[in-house]
Amino acid sequence: MDTQWPRWEVFKQDTPAKPHQAVGSVHAADPFHALLTARNVFARRPQAVSMWVAPASAIFSVTQEELAEGQEPKPPAPDPRPSTFYVFRKTSHKRSMTFVDYVGELEAASPQQALELARQRFTDAEALAWWVVPASSVTKSENSPETVESWFAPAKDKTYKQQSYYGVVGSHVSKFKRPRGEDDE
Amino acid sequence: MPRKFGKPTDPDYEARLAEFEARIARGEKIEPGDWMPEEYRRQLVRMISQHAHSEVVGMLPEGAWITRAPSLKRKMILIAKVQDEAGHGQYLYHAAETLGVTREEMLEALLSGKAKYSSIFNYPTLTWADIGTIGWLVDGAAIKNQTMLAQCSYGPYSRAMVRICAEETFHHKQGKEMVITYAKGTPKQRAMAQDAINRWWWPALMMLGPHDSDSPNTPTLVKWGVKTKTNDEVRQEFINEHAPEILEAGLTLPDPDLRYDEATGNWVHGPINWDEFWAVVNGNGPMNKERLEARRRAHAEGAWVREALAVYAARKQQTAVAV
Amino acid sequence: MNEQVKQALIAKLTALADDELILAHRDSEWTGHGPILEEDIALANIAQDELGHATVWYGLRSALDGSDPDRLAFFRDAGEFRNCEFVELPRGDWAFTMLRQYLFDVYEALWLSAAARSTYSPLAEAAAKVVREERFHLQHTQAWVERLGLGTEESRRRIQAALDEQWGYAQQLFVPLPDEALLVAEGIVPDLAEVKEAWLERTTEHLRKSGLELPLQPGYQPASRQMHTEHLWSLLAEMQSTARWDAEAKVW
Ligand SMILES: [Fe+2]
Ligand SMILES: [Fe+2]
Ligand SMILES: [Fe+2]
Repeated sequence: MDTQWPRWEVFKQDTPAKPHQAVGSVHAADPFHALLTARNVFARRPQAVSMWVAPASAIFSVTQEELAEGQEPKPPAPDPRPSTFYVFRKTSHKRSMTFVDYVGELEAASPQQALELARQRFTDAEALAWWVVPASSVTKSENSPETVESWFAPAKDKTYKQQSYYGVVGSHVSKFKRPRGEDDE
Repeated sequence: MPRKFGKPTDPDYEARLAEFEARIARGEKIEPGDWMPEEYRRQLVRMISQHAHSEVVGMLPEGAWITRAPSLKRKMILIAKVQDEAGHGQYLYHAAETLGVTREEMLEALLSGKAKYSSIFNYPTLTWADIGTIGWLVDGAAIKNQTMLAQCSYGPYSRAMVRICAEETFHHKQGKEMVITYAKGTPKQRAMAQDAINRWWWPALMMLGPHDSDSPNTPTLVKWGVKTKTNDEVRQEFINEHAPEILEAGLTLPDPDLRYDEATGNWVHGPINWDEFWAVVNGNGPMNKERLEARRRAHAEGAWVREALAVYAARKQQTAVAV
Repeated sequence: MNEQVKQALIAKLTALADDELILAHRDSEWTGHGPILEEDIALANIAQDELGHATVWYGLRSALDGSDPDRLAFFRDAGEFRNCEFVELPRGDWAFTMLRQYLFDVYEALWLSAAARSTYSPLAEAAAKVVREERFHLQHTQAWVERLGLGTEESRRRIQAALDEQWGYAQQLFVPLPDEALLVAEGIVPDLAEVKEAWLERTTEHLRKSGLELPLQPGYQPASRQMHTEHLWSLLAEMQSTARWDAEAKVW
């Protein structure tokens, strides 16, 4: 079978005050290529100020359900050296637009240990799912104002992609039309 | 990645199923990694991958007109729209991937002709007015379905749908604005718009799927919160919104039986030609061969490109490890 | 601005716009046919941006002479277009498209960075905006050149072939228009000789780093924007077919 390249999880930050969120994934060949691709796929419209990518294969993800049942899956090939891990967490399954959000980083000897430490450290909200990612696997867009301007600002000017650009089309009071209740558009 | 797909033969299946259905009843989303019935996963993979293929194949009939768009603005809008469709395919393949299928497997199914995609894209785009009409009717019909699916119980699918709906609304509006402009334009423009509406109206009704009586999956999908409405309900909503707007634009619809029913508040339509629908679904529509052929060609011509980057990446990684 | 300078600026803006329009056309031919979904999206982004730039330059011209950008794009014949031949060449394979876009992006990013200091403020402002997008493209196409050059034997062969074919054509980007010197003297547009020097330095370094060899024979180097390849006529026949289909149409 042919290759569609590896899959990379994409973490997008909408504004400096918000955490990076797992918004989806892209198929790309290498880290920088994945980052460029992520920008093309996930910043066609505003908002974004920063993006990270990590190979899907490097992510250790565990759900609350699995932890409760002592059934956590095997983490990806462990790195024997202690290193920095990024921790992401999902805290709500209530609505659809809830994401696995970045909560912080910590030092650990293995993904499992990182997960244990994370469970002790990040207790401000109930975690329904954890993602632990070695920092060395994460590639980030540059924070320089020039890069932010070049990567993320132009989408704001592409107003023709916004439905508001078309205003109210056609007359909405019509002899053919009964009054409508809830508009689901 | 979800790891637990329950089978009815599992000892704890009944208990877990009850818990799963209770979660859905509470309006909670099922997320990757959560327990789910194997059948739920199977239905979702089928729906989401079909949906993804539809977005990708759907790029072709419209993409063909980018180079012939009649103004700089329309050209820009059309590139952005077709790009969005690629983006939708991309979001949806991702949603399916969270259920443990790979992009490679899904593409293989599409290119081998095994997988289905929306029947609508097997019709030709004969004139420029088809582009506006597709936006208004085809994206309009898609939005009806997608607005419903944005409520879907599977988190990744619902998130993809929320994003997609926001973008589809732009597609719908630009199409509507275009057709209404031509309906008020020169005689040639008006004739072109009317001809396009005549050709796309019925296929748009059909794309919302067979009648409920012929849609065996619907009850399970409704029970598990994947769909919240039946095909006929969605179709009725679509007609109720679009029929009056098209008439208001001074155009006609190719259905002599179409009428507004005071009692129900619905627009009643004439019989749909399901023989045509099934012919297209089964590979015998006007453009089935061409669409698949175009996808296969792009895939084959891109093979050396994908291989080159894979080799480059492997070499880079080796040097990195060696250092 | 005196009349002669104004006419020179109109000619320059037309050439800039025509380059971007025709290049966007070639890029947009890929929509739906790219090697992978993600790259389809990426190239559609580049096509939109270049088309947007064309609109910007036609718009600046319009402010000077009241011309209608759509009339310019859809109702001029091949002989009236002022784009370089480089952008007319058929899209070729992925290597051809990526290399052309790369060579053009380096030129455009350099030209725009300099034009952002134009004494003609509408141009300076537009250039400052447009260059943001070019910087991103450039990163993307630069990455592609490196990866294809250092990928497989086949990818190297293909992109080297593209380079051999394009190098001479690309030089036309640096051939000034007949009255361009007037604009340079007024500080309205950058001196192409300086842009070329920076372009040569940057591209040759990156091409070599990507395992490619500059052609020993530069090949055909077009010199006048009055001349075109055989491809432009058919490209325009397609591009203008809808707009010209209804002579009475006022609005599209
Ligand atoms: Fe779509
Ligand atoms: Fe759409
Ligand atoms: Fe440009």
